[in-house]
Amino acid sequence: MSAWRYALRRLGFYLIAAWAALTLNFFIPRMMPGDPATSMFARFKGKLQPEALDALREAFGLVEGPLWEQYLMYLKHVAQGEFGISVAYFPAPVESVILTGMGWTLLLAGMAVVISFTLGTVLGALAAWKRRTWIDGILPPAFVLLGAFPYFWLAMVALYVFGFVLGVAPLRHAYDDTLDPGFTWAFISSVVQHAILPALTIVAATVGGWLLSMRNTMIGVLGEDYVTVAQAKGLSRARVFFRYAVRNALLPNVTGFGMALGFVISGSLLTEIVFSYPGQGYLLIQAVRTQDYPLMQGLFLMITLAVLAANWFVDLAYMWLDPRTGSEVGA
Amino acid sequence: MIRRFFFSVAWVALLLSMCACGQTRREPPPGVMTLVKEQQASWVRNFNPLLAPDLVRYPTTGGIYEPMFIYNAMSGEYVPWLATAYRFSEDKLTLHFDVRQNVRWSDGKAMTAGDVRFTFELLRKHKALDLNGVWRFIHEVEATDDHSVVFRFSRPYVPGLIFLAHQPIVPAHVWRDITDPVSFANPTPVATGPFTEVLSFKNQIYELGKNPHYWQPGKPAIKVLRFPAYPSNDQVNLALMHGELDWAGSFVPAIERIFVGRNPKHHGYWFPLVAGTVMLYPNLTKAPLDDIRVRKAISMAIDRERIVKVAMYGYTRPADVTGLHDGYKLWRDEAIVKKYRWTTYDRPRAEALLDEAGFVKGADGQRRGPNGKVLELEIGTVTGWSDWVRAAQIISRSLQAIGIDASISTYAFSAWFDRLQRAEFDLSLGWTVEGASPYAFYRNLMGSGTRKPAGEAAASNWHRFSSVRADELLESFERTTDAAEQKRMASELQAVFAREVPAIPLFLSPAWGEYNTKRFTGFPTKDDPYAKLSPNQIPENLLVLTRLQPRRSTP
Repeated sequence: MSAWRYALRRLGFYLIAAWAALTLNFFIPRMMPGDPATSMFARFKGKLQPEALDALREAFGLVEGPLWEQYLMYLKHVAQGEFGISVAYFPAPVESVILTGMGWTLLLAGMAVVISFTLGTVLGALAAWKRRTWIDGILPPAFVLLGAFPYFWLAMVALYVFGFVLGVAPLRHAYDDTLDPGFTWAFISSVVQHAILPALTIVAATVGGWLLSMRNTMIGVLGEDYVTVAQAKGLSRARVFFRYAVRNALLPNVTGFGMALGFVISGSLLTEIVFSYPGQGYLLIQAVRTQDYPLMQGLFLMITLAVLAANWFVDLAYMWLDPRTGSEVGA
Repeated sequence: MIRRFFFSVAWVALLLSMCACGQTRREPPPGVMTLVKEQQASWVRNFNPLLAPDLVRYPTTGGIYEPMFIYNAMSGEYVPWLATAYRFSEDKLTLHFDVRQNVRWSDGKAMTAGDVRFTFELLRKHKALDLNGVWRFIHEVEATDDHSVVFRFSRPYVPGLIFLAHQPIVPAHVWRDITDPVSFANPTPVATGPFTEVLSFKNQIYELGKNPHYWQPGKPAIKVLRFPAYPSNDQVNLALMHGELDWAGSFVPAIERIFVGRNPKHHGYWFPLVAGTVMLYPNLTKAPLDDIRVRKAISMAIDRERIVKVAMYGYTRPADVTGLHDGYKLWRDEAIVKKYRWTTYDRPRAEALLDEAGFVKGADGQRRGPNGKVLELEIGTVTGWSDWVRAAQIISRSLQAIGIDASISTYAFSAWFDRLQRAEFDLSLGWTVEGASPYAFYRNLMGSGTRKPAGEAAASNWHRFSSVRADELLESFERTTDAAEQKRMASELQAVFAREVPAIPLFLSPAWGEYNTKRFTGFPTKDDPYAKLSPNQIPENLLVLTRLQPRRSTP
């Protein structure tokens, strides 16, 4: 009963958060200096005559009128699922622009986050469980060192070495340019080939964080009395490991996982740029660069909703992992 | 359970990395040219030639669609294209074009003067499409027969020729039924250009094929144009080095070593200095920059050779007192260049000019004005534009050396441009506005028509300068078609600029262009400058696209 109430209460909280995000989403871009027509005009760096500025203003149909009126209009359109026409990719509707990148981003960044989380958590738990073995001695420092390199540099080096010098990985894109997308073996294997190197760089850069936080929490948990009691009772090592230690040590990592999943939508900006991966991240910079309000709003809304949704699921997962959650006071 | 999962992950990873090997690069079939002009992570299909060139996929405005004439800045001539001749009336109030016979649209229908008229009528109806504001100086377009079209001007405006001549022409029989041509993405173009067939369009690559009815017999020799999506310069440069690109227009640092050195036989580049002049704009609405002696002093304190070497990899050369770049080579008046010295690096002279203007050096080495205030100037530039930032650093050090308290402020692109437009700066780097003749160049630097009050956003003339003499000259430029007369006006405009120092020219911008002759030949070069090499030069790129030849066999 109370579990339901808890879940609903959290949902209510997230709805309010969503509204606040929508509102900020509307006002913040408009506080930037300049307007979309001007920044488009400026991009031509003198190749257009000044008269073009008027034409661009006209084309983008920049709405005049008081801000609150625009705001109400915006809320109405969002409710109808309309985000308007993108400026940077004029005249494509924002929804279709977002759709071109969304699938690839979910595939690449989503997979990478899941792999990195799983790998890091498992290795972290093992490292804490088997202290003073090679697992604990080598893995955490090695992965943390890897994660300490600037990601951009790491990715560039990986691309240069594996793609350019050795030629074992493709230099760019999500699939071979000569193939047509479809459910064919050639296409799917090409997608997989193209995703490996970028995904590996993300995993290499992020696994250290998961590993370290899992290991540290796990060490704390292993020192708890109830673990000693469980061992004293003669429970099997696996049972103590999974049911007593891992389940409790998992909590902070699960919170982090929720956040990371939510942010997948924003795209792994640098990965996508280095590997020319046709995902969401590049759209986002392009939108900011060109002051493409509609596209920015559309993207930020997706990101916000994804983060909120992921957090709500984390809340639900908490109810299973930690039965104290939502049961009584304080929650 | 977890252990099993871990192992299966490891297995999958291993298998995947095995199939990643065995990757071999396939050479495209003969006649297929790979090039890059726009940098995008993924393509959005749009072939509407009436929108601004960067909004639509290359080469929509000069390759799929075509203009009546192509102005070739290298030769200074108008090359006949969809029209064969043009003539102004005696009073310069009508402009007549002979539209070429036997041109067909890619669907086989004949192209006529009616299509030209229809295109300009579209611009009249939809202000958003009239990018050059042609309806500000014309008031009527008439197709007098199938192959002649007449533009009636509301005032004599000869420099308007280029905007009429360069307008991409669309077919009336297709566009008549389009309700909103502004938001029309024109997914399957019907056009007159050499490449009209969209063979494939995917988010990471698109391919264009030949127009089956192209009006130039036997052309183009290229069969297919392929455009892979590259999100940034680094990816383009990697592909260039790899020999995957046949033609590109990107900035490559240390190009001799990075690109040419990898394959000196086929890799080449040509960076003619025709893509504008980088200026240091002084805000003339602010003291002491309204004082010409201060502007000259700033200009003479700057070590331009150093900027060229350090900030621009030696790809360019310092600008002179006319501010003109090599795109206006035929117009530049050498006598004026020799007469005025204020772009020459001369620190003692700069210091003397500041003394004369009343800014005297104190004991601390700082110059103070008559009011006792330290002479402080802020140099505006754009975050992340490393060439400009480095140039600004050199300038600020140069100015500090003569006792000006100069500092650099970098802004995000939009914020920087906003401040520039409203004249909220002291000194700022900036580009120049380009046109076929120095008319457009100087109109946007010295014409009262482009000058707006400080605080109001101006699309050009950010430094806020105008002069009666320049206005007179610009006006007579608008009325004459006589080449010698135009040349004389251009010289006089250069003289006004050199005399008044409205802005401080720094260096000339190169038009980046790289080619690989392994599969195609006929690229313009320094020795054969029939057009600019850079694919960014629309519609001049049409001259190149129709000239390139695939190699018979790989040498």
